[in-house]
Amino acid sequence: MNISEKIHDAVSFATERIPLHKFDFYSVVHKKEVPVHKLSWAYYTGGLALFFFMIQLTTGLMLLFYYQPTVSDAHASVEYLTRHVPMGALIRNMHTWGSSGMIACVMVHMLMAFAMKAFERPREITWVTGVLLLLITFGFGFTGYLLPWHQIAVNATKVGLQSIEEAGRYMPGGLADLPRQFREIIQGEPSVGQATLSRFYVLHVILLPLSIFGVLGLHLLSVQLHGMSKGVDQPTKKTERFFPFFILKDFSLWGGAFLILFIVALCLPFESFFSFPLFQPYDALGSTPDGIKPEWYFYFVYYPLELLPFWLVMLGQTVAVGGLFAAPWIFKNTSRRSLSIIAGAAAAYLVISTIFGQAIYEMIKGVH
Amino acid sequence: MLNIFLFAALPYVAVFVLLVGSYWRYRTDRFSYSALSSQFLEDRKLLWGSICWHVGILVILLGHVLGLCFPGVWQAIVANRTILLLVEFTGLLFTILCVIGLVALAIRRATSGKLQIVSTPVDFAVLGLLLAQVLLGLWVAIAHRWGAAWAPASLSPYLFSLVTFNPNIEYVQDMPGLVKMHIAGAWFLLLLIPFSRLVHIFSIPFEYLWRRPQKVVWTNPRRFTQAEEQVAVAEDRRVFLRAGLGLSAGVALLGVGTADKMVRYFKGPEMTPEEEGDLLAKKLERLEQTSEQRELELERIRAAYIRVARLDELTANKGKYFTDYQMRPALAFLGSDGLPTLISAKCTHLGCTVGSDLDGDGRLLCPCHVSYFDLKTGAPNAGAPAKSPLGHLGWALMDESGNVLLSQNPSGVREGSADPEALKGAIVCIARRFEEAKA
Repeated sequence: MNISEKIHDAVSFATERIPLHKFDFYSVVHKKEVPVHKLSWAYYTGGLALFFFMIQLTTGLMLLFYYQPTVSDAHASVEYLTRHVPMGALIRNMHTWGSSGMIACVMVHMLMAFAMKAFERPREITWVTGVLLLLITFGFGFTGYLLPWHQIAVNATKVGLQSIEEAGRYMPGGLADLPRQFREIIQGEPSVGQATLSRFYVLHVILLPLSIFGVLGLHLLSVQLHGMSKGVDQPTKKTERFFPFFILKDFSLWGGAFLILFIVALCLPFESFFSFPLFQPYDALGSTPDGIKPEWYFYFVYYPLELLPFWLVMLGQTVAVGGLFAAPWIFKNTSRRSLSIIAGAAAAYLVISTIFGQAIYEMIKGVH
Repeated sequence: MLNIFLFAALPYVAVFVLLVGSYWRYRTDRFSYSALSSQFLEDRKLLWGSICWHVGILVILLGHVLGLCFPGVWQAIVANRTILLLVEFTGLLFTILCVIGLVALAIRRATSGKLQIVSTPVDFAVLGLLLAQVLLGLWVAIAHRWGAAWAPASLSPYLFSLVTFNPNIEYVQDMPGLVKMHIAGAWFLLLLIPFSRLVHIFSIPFEYLWRRPQKVVWTNPRRFTQAEEQVAVAEDRRVFLRAGLGLSAGVALLGVGTADKMVRYFKGPEMTPEEEGDLLAKKLERLEQTSEQRELELERIRAAYIRVARLDELTANKGKYFTDYQMRPALAFLGSDGLPTLISAKCTHLGCTVGSDLDGDGRLLCPCHVSYFDLKTGAPNAGAPAKSPLGHLGWALMDESGNVLLSQNPSGVREGSADPEALKGAIVCIARRFEEAKA
């Protein structure tokens, strides 16, 4: 095969995945149809994630007006915002609850897309960008957790970063120090401090948003170009026009979600589920307080890390992420039935490790 | 006497006649319980007159009702100068709209030939009285400025005294003549309602917004289909109107709520000097902590020895936290031989800082994942998440003048004399040379 044939192949691959000639008013507005079947609800999960993303963007921008990213002022500025600024607590609660909502939606969206085999040719790019978006969303969660600079935030971040270093134990002699150096590059200094805060801040408010804009643009564009995947095996007879019927329902759902988010943010501070001393400002010279934990959406990897050998968790994680990226090619010939079973098992694992993780941990380790 | 008649007797008469008269008219002549429409006879001037008048008077009446029914809230609101100006301006604008509308209606009724047939003297009386009342109001507003602010204060108690059947005309009897005429005019207008077209204020056709369109059934097939189509169009429009109304009301509410919160959020808090002081004090304290931390870092770059504590400050069971040359936490204990024991406090598992209390077995606890470290050897307990031991640090004992009396490197090799007398009051330090030896 010579070079020109290869180029030709690459071009035809790209045009099949991103058929820009379909991107006109007629196909996007008039022709777009949404299949109606018993799994149709899953078509709303992506839109809901987008809604939460917009909430995060707005409230995040508002928080930026008061937040000061230095080790001496970060905690005080967050406290000032929460206690004194009118509606400050509301905006901050909306941001924290919204982050949880966004991650929950993204996870359900991914599981349903998997179960419905939405990654089938020619939708590989939609799927791969979707997995990237999932990772970026987790990145937002991890970097945002540090910013208030209280005990639980800094200590949990320390532990999270330190687990990178664990990998050194499984590396041959000369390379054993690499993970430590890698961690210090992320941190910017030997221990978590101002350099880490600055870096996480930049990641959280500039780099990750920029990258999510790019990836999200590609994701939404390919959804527009290919339309909704049919999602079920037997061809559906009924469809519904995207404009205006589906989008109106989508908007009503967003309205409901906003109402719920608003009420929850108004009545329930996110912190109410932690013991209060953890929200003292970070004390560099004191001992690590009890009960340091990551956010709930990292429990599914946190509890295995606590209970299983490190290499096993790392291996599992690598296989899972690799498998997610390569899903369109690995599961090319898998039936929707089998995919649903796999997605169901994954969902069951996520739910059990998140809700019962602590109980299982205490059962195995003895009460702590 | 006239005052008593106008402001204590007339109101009761007017309300009584209004209630009984309206009821009587509704029972005896239900189809007249509205304003006789003359749109069919003349619609051009009606459009201008009627819409201007109705829009204007609705806003003006709303202002009167709000001000008189909720005087406390109203006055609190108009106490703000900007709002008061805005209210007065709006009032004036809509009063002028009323006047324009009334004048247009009066001209129309007086000049349109077709209208003469259906006009009654009462129609003219109503127009004239309304015009007089509106002009009086306008005059009051101009002659006695800021009515929005002063009127509720005295007129609201007057109305309240009427409602509680304890009429007190003291509130109004000394008012300027213009105001008194305006009030009396209002009672006369109430009295007139059941006997004129004014009765239509009780029969506002709100249900037009949601009732189904009426369908005219034709026997002629062509007209029949036409009528069907018209009904369908009307139905469509009605649904659209309703949805639009609901949506815009929702969006408006959301917009007002959001804008209110946004403005207050960006305006920032209004704090008492006390709160402000507390806040500044706290910020200063944090800055001092940070500067201490920076000093520690600087010291670790420059100093050959760093003071940890005086030897007699150390205890055997509770360690003293300090930071080593890498700014990592460490603990200082007093060993059984009366010499210091310095051990790293950074857990070898995931880097948490271990606690400073020794348990009964002489072990330190890392609270994150429950590893116990033996103070003497640094080794973790069997089955702990941590696999490698905590490292011991080298130390040097110094006298006040900076002479090293005794030192121990990280592997435990000592240099110098351990004369207990000389070591009294010595200072425990960590030394850079031990760090370099380790690296």
